[in-house]
Amino acid sequence: MYRYAKLKNRVTRTLGIDAAEVESDPFVAELVDALSPDRVKQDGAHRALLSHDASVFDGGNSGPVVFPETTEEVAAVTRAAATHGRNVVPRGAGTGLAGGAIPLGVPVVVAVTRMNEIHEIDTDNGIAWVGPGVVNLDLTKHLAPIGYHFAPDPSSQQVCTIGGNVANNSGGPHCLAYGVTNAHIVAMEVVLPSGDVVMLGGLDAEPAGYDLRGAFVGSEGTLGITTKIAVRITKNRPEVRTLLLSFESVTDAANTVSGIIAAGIVPAALEVMDQRITVAVENYVNAGYPRDAAAVLLAEVDGLADGVDLDADRIAEIGRANGATAVKLAGSDTERALLWKGRKTAFGAIAQLAPDYYLHDTVVPRSKLAEVLTKTYEIADRYDLTIMNVFHAGDGNLHPLILFDARDEGVLEKVHAAGGEIITASLDAGGVLSGEHGIGVEKQKFMDRMFSSDDLDHQNRLRQAFDPGCRTNPGKVIPTGHSCADIQSLRSVPKEVWA
Amino acid sequence: MDLKLGSDDLNTCVQCGLCLPHCPTYRVTGDETMSPRGRIKLMREVQLHDAPVTDEVVDAFASCVQCRGCEPACPSGVPYGHLMEQTRETLADSGQMTPVWLRAAMKPLAQPKLLAAGTAALGVAKKVGLVPDRLGLGAADIPLRQEPLPTTGTDVYLFTGCVMDTMQRDVHRAGLDVLTAAGFGVTPTGAEAPCCGALQAHAGLTDETRGLAEKMMRSLAPERPIIVDSAGCGAAMKEYGHLLGTEEARAFSGRVFDIQEFLADHVDKLPEVAPLDLRVAVQDPCHLRHVQRVHEATRVVLQPFVRELVELDDDGLCCGAGGAYSVLQPELAGQIRDRKLGSIDRATPDVVASANPGCSLHLGAAGVDTIHPMELVARALSAAM
Repeated sequence: MYRYAKLKNRVTRTLGIDAAEVESDPFVAELVDALSPDRVKQDGAHRALLSHDASVFDGGNSGPVVFPETTEEVAAVTRAAATHGRNVVPRGAGTGLAGGAIPLGVPVVVAVTRMNEIHEIDTDNGIAWVGPGVVNLDLTKHLAPIGYHFAPDPSSQQVCTIGGNVANNSGGPHCLAYGVTNAHIVAMEVVLPSGDVVMLGGLDAEPAGYDLRGAFVGSEGTLGITTKIAVRITKNRPEVRTLLLSFESVTDAANTVSGIIAAGIVPAALEVMDQRITVAVENYVNAGYPRDAAAVLLAEVDGLADGVDLDADRIAEIGRANGATAVKLAGSDTERALLWKGRKTAFGAIAQLAPDYYLHDTVVPRSKLAEVLTKTYEIADRYDLTIMNVFHAGDGNLHPLILFDARDEGVLEKVHAAGGEIITASLDAGGVLSGEHGIGVEKQKFMDRMFSSDDLDHQNRLRQAFDPGCRTNPGKVIPTGHSCADIQSLRSVPKEVWA
Repeated sequence: MDLKLGSDDLNTCVQCGLCLPHCPTYRVTGDETMSPRGRIKLMREVQLHDAPVTDEVVDAFASCVQCRGCEPACPSGVPYGHLMEQTRETLADSGQMTPVWLRAAMKPLAQPKLLAAGTAALGVAKKVGLVPDRLGLGAADIPLRQEPLPTTGTDVYLFTGCVMDTMQRDVHRAGLDVLTAAGFGVTPTGAEAPCCGALQAHAGLTDETRGLAEKMMRSLAPERPIIVDSAGCGAAMKEYGHLLGTEEARAFSGRVFDIQEFLADHVDKLPEVAPLDLRVAVQDPCHLRHVQRVHEATRVVLQPFVRELVELDDDGLCCGAGGAYSVLQPELAGQIRDRKLGSIDRATPDVVASANPGCSLHLGAAGVDTIHPMELVARALSAAM
C-alpha cells in the first residue's frame, strides 16, 4: 500500500534534486531531441507534482515529464523508453481517484494535455475526431452550436480529458440512459508500447476482426497511449425536466430509485446525495438544495415535451409513494444548471468538512442499494469514522466517501480497513469493485475477491499481448501475483536514475 | 522555509483539480506547475516539509496572473489569492522574488507628480518610436496633457488612482458624467488618495500596500461611498479589511463600490435615451468577476444604452493583462490573450466593453477595439443631449 504519510518525505527529496545530476542522462537527451527542451521537464517541482493525481496515493518520484503535441512525438518517446528500458505512464488532467496516473518505478510521464485539438466534426457519421488532451466539457461546449454533445459526463467533466475517459471507461450521471464511455468510442489511434502506431476499431458499424477497441477502453493506460480518438456525438434532446426530491431517509430515496426503474421509466440521470454532502454542496452553490432532508434524489428525464412531462409526473408520484417530503421541478435552465453544478462539485466541496477523503466506487444491484448503504453507515460507525454517500443511484454505482484528517495519528489504517469492509459488503451483495474510477493501485488487492486466479492470468495475457515488457503504466490494475514483468520492471530501475 | 501561510488555509485544498480549467496559465501550458492545484502543493512542500525554493518553484509562483479565476471554481473555498499574496510577500522579503528594479518601478505609482511626468515622457518617447514592443503598449495612445476633472458635489467619491488617471482620464470623465446624470454629486479623489496598492500587493510588497491603504483611509471622509471604475483597484480596496484586519478597514471596504455595481441599483435614475447602434461584447475583468463577483451589474447598466450585448464563450477566463503581468511575463500573457482573442472573434462584436484599465490596454495592444462600459453609457447620454 502506498501510504499517504510517506508522500511528504518523497516529495521533499524529489524537490531537492540537482538538475545537473540528471542532465547527462542519455535517455533525457533523446527525449529533448524528439520534442524540444521546453517540453521535457526534469526539475524537482515538475517531478514532485506529477507524483500525484486526485487520489490519496503517492507514486514517489516521477522521471522526466514530457508534453508531446503529436502522435509522432508520443511514438518517439515510447520508442526511446523501450530502447532504454524505461517505464512510461500516460497522464491527462490528473483527476483520477484510484491512483491510475501516479508514477511507479521512476517512469517518464507523458502528459497529453497539449494534444487538445478537436480535429474534425463529422455529423454525417455522428462522430468527432479529438486529441486525448481535449477536456470533456470543452468538446460538449464546442458541439453546442450545432445541437450535439458528448454524452459521458463524469463529475470532473469540466477538467478531465477524453484520453483519461477512455483509459478509465468513465461513467457519469447521464450514462444511465446513454451508456458509459465505451459506448461512445468508435475508433482510436494508439501508440503501442513498442512505439508502433495502430488504429483500433473503425467508423464502420461492424469493424472486422476482434474488438481490440473494446479491450483498450478501460485499460487504464496499461496497453498503450491513445493519440487520436473518434467519439460518438449525441444529438441534444428537445426537452429536459429535472426534479429534486427530498426524503427523510436514504432508504426511502434508494427505494424510489428502484421504483422508477421498475415502472419502466429510463431517466437520463438518477443521483442521490445524503444530508452531509448535500449541506456541503449547498454551502457552495446555493442551488436550493434542502439542508434538512436526510437524502435528496436528483432525477432527470429528456425527450419530447409530452413524454418528459408524463415521466416527470410519474417520478414525482413514485417518490411520494416512497415517502418523499418535497418534490421540486427546476423552473429554468439556470436553476437546472445550478443543481447539476452542485452534484458535480460534491467531492471538491468536502474540504469544508475535512481536509482529506477516501472515495469508493463499488456497484451493487439496484435492489440491494438500500441494504448496502445501511451497511456502509454501520461500518463507518464501528470505526468511528464519518462517511457520506453520494451516488449514481440509477445504475447502483455507490460512492461512499470516508472523511479524515491525514494529520491524525493512525487514522489512515482505520480508513483503509473500513474501505475494505465496504468493498466486501458490496461484493457479497453481488456487486463489482469499480463503477467508473478504475482499479489503479487502489483496488488491486481486492481483484482476487472478484476474479479467480485463472481470470487474472488471462487478463494478464491480454495485457502482455500489447505490452510484452510490462513497461506501460506498470504496477496498476492487475495484482502483483498475476502481473507479468511488472515487478521486475519496477525493480530494475537503473541505479543512475534519480530514485 | 516558513512562507507564513495559515495551515488551515493550506489544508483546505483536497487536490481535486476542479480549478485547472479556470486557470489561464494551465490552460495555455497544460502544465501542473502552472496550475492552482500545483502551486498550492508547492506551497505545502516548501512550508510544511522544507522543500528548497528552487528556480522552478519561484517560476511556478511568478507565473500566476493572480486573476483568481480558480476561487469561484473551488467548491472548498480555498483562499488562493491570499495564499499567493502571502507567498510572494515572504519570498519578496527574503529577496527570492520581486527584484530591486521592479520595486523601484512601483515607487512612482504613489507619487502623482512623478507619475504624471513619467507618463508624459513615455508618451513623447512612444511618439518618436523609442518604446520597445515588449512593453505591450501596442497602438495605445498615451495622452500628453490632461484636463483636470471637475467636482460636481459631495454625495460620492470617484477614485481616480495612479496609472489610470494619467493614461485613461477620459474613463473617469465618462464615469463622472454618468454618476452626475444619475443625480449624484461627485468628488474625484485626485492626489488625496494617489494609489490603491494593488500592483504592490501582487508583487509581494504588502507593506507598501498597507501604507497606501492607511493613507487612503485617512484622506477620504467617512460615510461617503467610494466609487471605483477600475476593477483591479476596486478589488484591492474591498480587501483592505482583510489586509489590515481592523474594524475601521472593514468599514472602509464596506463603502467601496465598483461603478457598475453602484449604478446597477440606480439605473432607473438615468434618462431614457436612444441606444447606441452597437453590438457590444462584455469582457469581464477578473477582479470584477472572480474577486468582487459583481460582473452581472455591467450588463444591467449597459443593456439600455446599446443595441445588443453579447457574451464571450470562455467562462470569464483571464485575458492575461494581470496588472503588471503582461510586462513581467510577456510570453505567457500573449498566449493567454490569444485565447481571449479567439473568443472575441467568435462573438463578432463591434466593440468590446471592459471595466478595467489593464485589460483594455492589453487587448487594445492586440488591436481589439476596447472601451470602458461607462464611456459607452456616457456617449449614449451625450448623443441625446
